Amino acid sequence: MSKAILVVGGGFAGLTAAIEAAELGHDVYIVEKSPWLGGRVAQLNKYFPKLCPPSCGLEIQFQRIRKNPRVKFFTMADVVGLAGSKGSYTVRVRLRSRHTAPHAVDFNLLASSLVGEADNEFDFGLSKRGALYKSMPFAFPDRYVLDTPTLSKTDATQAERAKFLDLSEQPREIELDVASIVVATGWKPYDVTRLTNLGAGKVKNCVSNMQMERLASPAGPTGGRIVRPSDGRTPHSVAFVQCAGSRDQNHLNYCSYICCMASLKQCLYIAEQNPDAEITVYYIDLRAPGRYVNVLEKVQALPNVCFVKGKVADVVQAGDDKVTLTVEDAVRGEKLTLHYDLVVLATGMQPSLAGENPPLPLPLDEDGFIAGGEEAGIFAAGCARMPLDVTRTAQSGTAAALKAVQTVKGR
Amino acid sequence: MAQCTLKPDLEFTREIARAGGSSLKKCYQCATCSVACPMAPANAPYPRKEMIWASWGLRDKFRSDVDIWLCRNCGNCTDLCPRGARPADVMAAARNLVYRDLAEPSIVSKWMGSASGLKRLFLIPAVLWLVVWALRAAYNGQWFPRAADGRIVFGQIFYGDYTIDPIFMLTFFGACFVLYRGVRKLWEMFRPQGELLVIGRTKSWIFHLADVLWEEVLTHRKFDECEDGPTTGKAGPNRKTGHALLFWSFVLLAFVTAVVAAGHWVGKIVPVIHIETPMPMTFPIKILANIGALLLICGLALLTWRRLRLDPEQHGSGFYDWYLLGILWLVAVTGIFSQCFRLADAIVPAFLAYYLHLVFVWMLFAYLPWSKLGHFVYRTAALVFVRMYGRS
Repeated sequence: MSKAILVVGGGFAGLTAAIEAAELGHDVYIVEKSPWLGGRVAQLNKYFPKLCPPSCGLEIQFQRIRKNPRVKFFTMADVVGLAGSKGSYTVRVRLRSRHTAPHAVDFNLLASSLVGEADNEFDFGLSKRGALYKSMPFAFPDRYVLDTPTLSKTDATQAERAKFLDLSEQPREIELDVASIVVATGWKPYDVTRLTNLGAGKVKNCVSNMQMERLASPAGPTGGRIVRPSDGRTPHSVAFVQCAGSRDQNHLNYCSYICCMASLKQCLYIAEQNPDAEITVYYIDLRAPGRYVNVLEKVQALPNVCFVKGKVADVVQAGDDKVTLTVEDAVRGEKLTLHYDLVVLATGMQPSLAGENPPLPLPLDEDGFIAGGEEAGIFAAGCARMPLDVTRTAQSGTAAALKAVQTVKGR
Repeated sequence: MAQCTLKPDLEFTREIARAGGSSLKKCYQCATCSVACPMAPANAPYPRKEMIWASWGLRDKFRSDVDIWLCRNCGNCTDLCPRGARPADVMAAARNLVYRDLAEPSIVSKWMGSASGLKRLFLIPAVLWLVVWALRAAYNGQWFPRAADGRIVFGQIFYGDYTIDPIFMLTFFGACFVLYRGVRKLWEMFRPQGELLVIGRTKSWIFHLADVLWEEVLTHRKFDECEDGPTTGKAGPNRKTGHALLFWSFVLLAFVTAVVAAGHWVGKIVPVIHIETPMPMTFPIKILANIGALLLICGLALLTWRRLRLDPEQHGSGFYDWYLLGILWLVAVTGIFSQCFRLADAIVPAFLAYYLHLVFVWMLFAYLPWSKLGHFVYRTAALVFVRMYGRS
């Protein structure tokens, strides 16, 4: 009987759980649906607590995986079926076709010669990508992906001739025998198109906080310059709209925990690049848990950042591609209508499983977070369980690994 | 900074909750509602401040607050409220409480507060008109008399000169008096402390009233402005058509009543303009009256349909709302039935329907200062005040 552990999701929680379990001597499989490991953290410019770039923490995790033969991972893979019970599960995993050779090939030249384009989901639509692409410079595995529907006709003939591409690769299914499962399926940014009064994603220069991370990231669409997406100009006035969808029974009926700190962090990005930019943060309550209060104090001390208590409830397009906000300053009792060069919606985190039908026997709460499953030897980690920052995500990954190991070993 | 001590009046908070604002404690003061409301002015917008006053039970703040009368209860704030605190319902509840305080004697407002008082409210006119009926029946010698030419004439029992007209005139002017005192009281409550220095020309309240009537009441323009708020993503059935139909039916029926009364009383001196009831169906005034009844039914149907379609989780409908809709339906239906039975020559149902019609019309007018219908006076008064003091 297999004593392996399956980890669903290769983000920070999943990686941590997998590595911790493997380093205790257990076989681990990671099943990741995107082409690379790293999850949401890989999309950030910097992350808490030390405000280092994602490569910093992820590189260490990737290194530990490379060195540990007990960790095996599948990318572009989905769990499609589960049979058995605690201690002896058979998991069916579907592997989508990547169409590129299984080793690190530098396709840079070929990729740039292809003309077909698609929206770059890694940049949340802020840029285009080609058919043959790698979303980040430190991607792990260091392999390109060929997205065949994006190929133009000429691209296709070129791709067929390419030595390390295989256009005919078919998706396939494998079966894994495992004793325990860690579910670290993570989160997705709340869908801005549902925020009808905040512009529903149709207002130019009104971006989400995750788009802001991409704008600020050196590997992002602007090479790390924070500019207005519409015209590439440096914004002189920026507004942050907190609780865009969070703590709202019409959207996410809980606090997403990270958005206050994310906006404070992004204030620092902007102030660093353009100290003259006027920044306003509109909030209901500012939540800087634990030692993060230091960051809040640091941002509050910045000369051009001001905080206004009041939730923005109306966002519309203004002339010159500016954005008009309407908000009541609840302390002064004044309704303000103001124009900004750039507006950032601090959208919250929704569990990836919300609205999905995962083939795992997992009880989800009404918001889509995993609530239970431990008696079946299935343990949730990271933001699949509750909104968390990276530090606490790592802790929950370790905790889930420990429980999975206990299940495998028997108590 | 000067210290100020708040004295929460929890009883007031409970009163608001009972009057339809039971969700008020869910508010966490995010101020979405003030933005959701396209009518709320930039300076001290509503309803966020009212929500915290309600939580704290600040009765005096509400009494001096004109803003609850600026709210047209479109429900945008409730649609966007992230907490389900239903500010629109809290504003409506606050208005209900103010009606209660405004009109004297306050015992009527206590009866109006809930369904249990309804029996008393109904019995007063029911007994009153039954006594009138009995007296006239004794005088006529029969309960369902016919006129000399065999027609059904309601005046045989409910004789205008000595019964209906004096009672209704007393009721009408009594209600007017109660409303007048209510409006005086309302303005007194609104009036800011200290002296108000006005620079520039001021207008008399009469001209402001004319402005309000023309710009807001007759045209129903503000109902459109309610639609100008942020996109809520929730389609709410529009109230403008139903409310406007109802309003114009009232205007029409009031006009008809005034003409008939004038024709009757002035006709005693100037026989040329004498109007005899029942009027023939082709008589212009009768035609107008029936058009008014039709508009009334259409308006009522629209408003009732809208209220029934409202999501009860989002927009509550309280006893005040249903009382008004109910009494209007009863007035309209009994009125139409009286006419139909009379024309069909069904004498017993005709008199019974007419009797009920009188009961319900009396209820409508006599209790007007305490009921939701009072808004047409109180709100207009508040709007005039707002213009006089320059808040809009």
